[in-house]
Amino acid sequence: MSETGMRLLVVDDEPIVGKRLKQVFGKVGFEVESYTDSAAALAAMVEKPFDIVVTDLKMQGIDGIEVLKRVRAMNPETRVIIITGYASPDTAELAEHEGVFAFLAKPFRLDELKEVIYRAMEPNRTKA
Amino acid sequence: MALRDLLKGFSAQRWFTPKPCRPLPLIFSLFREVLKANNQALELIADIGEKLSGEYLFDLRYVEATVEEMIAAMRRAIAAINTLTQDRCATLHEIFAPMEARVRAILTGRDDREGPPLLWLAEVEPRHWPLVGGKAAHLSELLHNHRVQVPEGFVITSRFFHDLLDHNGLRPEFDLFEQRLTEQEVNEDELERLRLSLQKKVREAAPPAGFLEALTGLIARFATVGLPPLFLAIRSSAQEEDMDFSFAGQFHSVLQVHPGAEAVYRAYLEVAASLFGAKAIGYRRQVFPEGGPMSIAACCQRMIPAAASGIIYSLDPMAPGSRNMVAVGALGQGQAVVEGQVPTDFFRISRGEPLKIVERVLAAKHEALRPKGGDGGGLAMQKVPEGQAETPCLDEPNLLALAAIAIHLETFFKRPQDIEWTVDQQGKLYILQSRPLLITESAREKPLLSEQLEGYELVASDAGRVAQQGIGAGPAYWVETLADLKEFPEGAVLISHRDSSQFVQVMHRAAAIVTEVGSPTSHMATLCRELRVPCLVGVSGIMAKVANGEEITVDAEDRRIYRGRVVELLTYQATTSMDLHMAPEFRLLRRILREVSRLNLVDPLMQEFRPEGCKTFHDVLRYIHETAVLALVELGRDESCLPGGLARRLDLPIQAGILAIDIGGGMAPDAPRDLVPFAAIRSIPFKAILQGMLFPGAWHQEAMPVSFRDMMHSMMTTPQDTLSGQYTGHNIAIISENYVNLCFRFGYHFNIIDAFCHEVERDNHIYFRFLGGATDLAKRSRRATLIATILEAFDFSVKTRGDLVIARTGNLARSEMERTLDILGRLIGFTRQLDVQMTDDRVVARYAEAFLMGDYGVFAEKR
Repeated sequence: MSETGMRLLVVDDEPIVGKRLKQVFGKVGFEVESYTDSAAALAAMVEKPFDIVVTDLKMQGIDGIEVLKRVRAMNPETRVIIITGYASPDTAELAEHEGVFAFLAKPFRLDELKEVIYRAMEPNRTKA
Repeated sequence: MALRDLLKGFSAQRWFTPKPCRPLPLIFSLFREVLKANNQALELIADIGEKLSGEYLFDLRYVEATVEEMIAAMRRAIAAINTLTQDRCATLHEIFAPMEARVRAILTGRDDREGPPLLWLAEVEPRHWPLVGGKAAHLSELLHNHRVQVPEGFVITSRFFHDLLDHNGLRPEFDLFEQRLTEQEVNEDELERLRLSLQKKVREAAPPAGFLEALTGLIARFATVGLPPLFLAIRSSAQEEDMDFSFAGQFHSVLQVHPGAEAVYRAYLEVAASLFGAKAIGYRRQVFPEGGPMSIAACCQRMIPAAASGIIYSLDPMAPGSRNMVAVGALGQGQAVVEGQVPTDFFRISRGEPLKIVERVLAAKHEALRPKGGDGGGLAMQKVPEGQAETPCLDEPNLLALAAIAIHLETFFKRPQDIEWTVDQQGKLYILQSRPLLITESAREKPLLSEQLEGYELVASDAGRVAQQGIGAGPAYWVETLADLKEFPEGAVLISHRDSSQFVQVMHRAAAIVTEVGSPTSHMATLCRELRVPCLVGVSGIMAKVANGEEITVDAEDRRIYRGRVVELLTYQATTSMDLHMAPEFRLLRRILREVSRLNLVDPLMQEFRPEGCKTFHDVLRYIHETAVLALVELGRDESCLPGGLARRLDLPIQAGILAIDIGGGMAPDAPRDLVPFAAIRSIPFKAILQGMLFPGAWHQEAMPVSFRDMMHSMMTTPQDTLSGQYTGHNIAIISENYVNLCFRFGYHFNIIDAFCHEVERDNHIYFRFLGGATDLAKRSRRATLIATILEAFDFSVKTRGDLVIARTGNLARSEMERTLDILGRLIGFTRQLDVQMTDDRVVARYAEAFLMGDYGVFAEKR
């Protein structure tokens, strides 16, 4: 499945996450940008919107929930996926409330993330 | 508790001082506790392995949390085994403490400080790799590879580097420098000042006490007989060098060094100081910015007086899709080639079968770098005599031999290789270095792989599970029995029905492995990850789809198998495989896994199987498991500890005289109190053994002469027989739903079968012990050999001594366990009938074959 043109933003304070996702999704044709600084990531989003945002939860400065909120406000079309090593029912619920598309606990299989992202690309607006 | 103690103790009455008897169900439940704790730790180790397979995304937090959980689980396992064995394993605490310390050292980035300051290269083990640096680690691996010649030598480790810093009061400056390097806002002037200061001070550093003497001792180890005068090459081996980053040419090397401690030490200081060289620091900041503090080791090897030297790439980096290698060379020492100081010959070799030189461009080699001569050491450019300048630096046979080695090393290291070679005056080829070949791809024009792959035939997609990521291609090679491994060709793809840790024998030669069954957490999968062999497991039906010898490409990232050689995927692999391994978390986790999971204690019947033989967490867990099993095995031996009232007679079609003690779920709840029939047995392993014993012909022959039958019969039913040497006591089976401990005595034979069989393969074991008596030693040995032969055919690990046979197997799925136990049941019956007619060695082979063919009636012929 070739996905030329789909823009993917990755926000995580650990560089390995961005690198890995760039490698994996770059291979299947996504245009991937990654940031370890959430403020910089949001600035990039303002400049040219992304189709999908994958963000960590716990970060310095602007955290994942805040990123989620701002992205949804800026661009409701964009699907936001939260990935985190600190998953808890409360944060999951909060994220749901703010309109997160999916919530994945780290470590996860890249296949799982791929599946979620492919779902996120479907033009159908209702979440799975 | 080494094997010899086992053997001694077995013949003696007891092998441990008697302690008050504990109830069987308690012992059994303690055994289950040990298994549980053991499994927790093993699962964590397997989990780490799985995360490293490349399929997962994990972060530092995962690494830290998992290490803590693993250490806690290990402690619980050690506590549990000590409870079970009443503290006979107390030494495990001391054995484990330094292992725990080493893992914590890795987590805090201090693992390059733990260990010896000097190491002979051939004695470097995987746990030393953080200390010796990438280059030395690779070289030490090559030293054990019989296909290549590597000059001998030793390593001055990073531990010594740290000692040097501390001894010379440089630690605060070093820490400050490293800190400044990683800061967001860099004060360039301060950084430069610190850099120059450290560089100078290291060059002038004094050695810690005793070091020069130790160095002299190591230098004395070099062979000298019949060899040219010894000179040394001192080359850098930095932590990251050659593992993931080339740092090519960034550090200093000193060649043709006089083999005296003082000279070597001075040369070492030059190398160590180059860690702070402008080039190296610049490289680090550009390529490797989040790496953390670096240290440096130095590799000191014999200099080979070179006729010619050069470099060979196992893949043409300019055209990675072509099937060509490229090599360059010049006369004299390799330094000149590596530094680009002389014109070189160029060769292009195609990787087909057979290898062919497809292009040759010879240079005019008027100069060569050679030893200066005399004791002082050093190299100098010298003129090459007229005739030689035009001849190729390598003749054709040597060039092709070199090319074959390059391919071998590529398969060995699982990546295209950048190899430095040299040839001595006698034409002997040496490998000086082998590191991953860097192939850059142009940044913005990433080709859409998926389109290009459409032209290839997919043999399987969504295929199985990934045990280790990667891409490999080669001719498929079917492995149906372990004997097939012997003929495994270089660079082939191993295809097999089931996975087996025995495949490790060929993993260095395999391009990839595909199995029809198996899981990513099996032993084989762990080995694939350690050795980085791309591997897919659970790809059912693959053997029907791929012919033996057919070229295939395995994409163990996207779980696909293609017919033919998919060049685009291999190129992709060559260009991107570096990235993942660069990530610090990945390297960290891999170092931890290596420290924790490498198995040294493989065979429980071997002499080395003692607490002191444990080098890793995995060894300790293995040791604990075996000890727990042994604790159970002894249960049935001491009748004084068995609750007499609970032993119930079994009512079987054969006169086996077995009493059974049910410690939980071994029999149907409504089974009669006495004379329990076969149908009421619920113990899975016991039932399987009984099935074997009841197999027609296994226990006895219908046509046996009455007197013989009577004799056996009487042996069975008169336990109080006073014939000397005979074992007295009952045949006791301690059973539960998943367990059996069967002590079986008749006449002069004594069998123990201990087996645990349930759904978790890893927990399952079978322990078999046989001691025969009566008759002469020769006949007894033959009987033991017969039994050993049969057991080995069923994948047991077997040890014999005289007439004692100890055999062990485990880690089998339940159905295989039952099948094997059935066979053991038949074997018990069979050996009963052996009579004592083992008159010569040929009889052994004949009876073994008869048994294996299922011909239990072989004795009828003798009558």
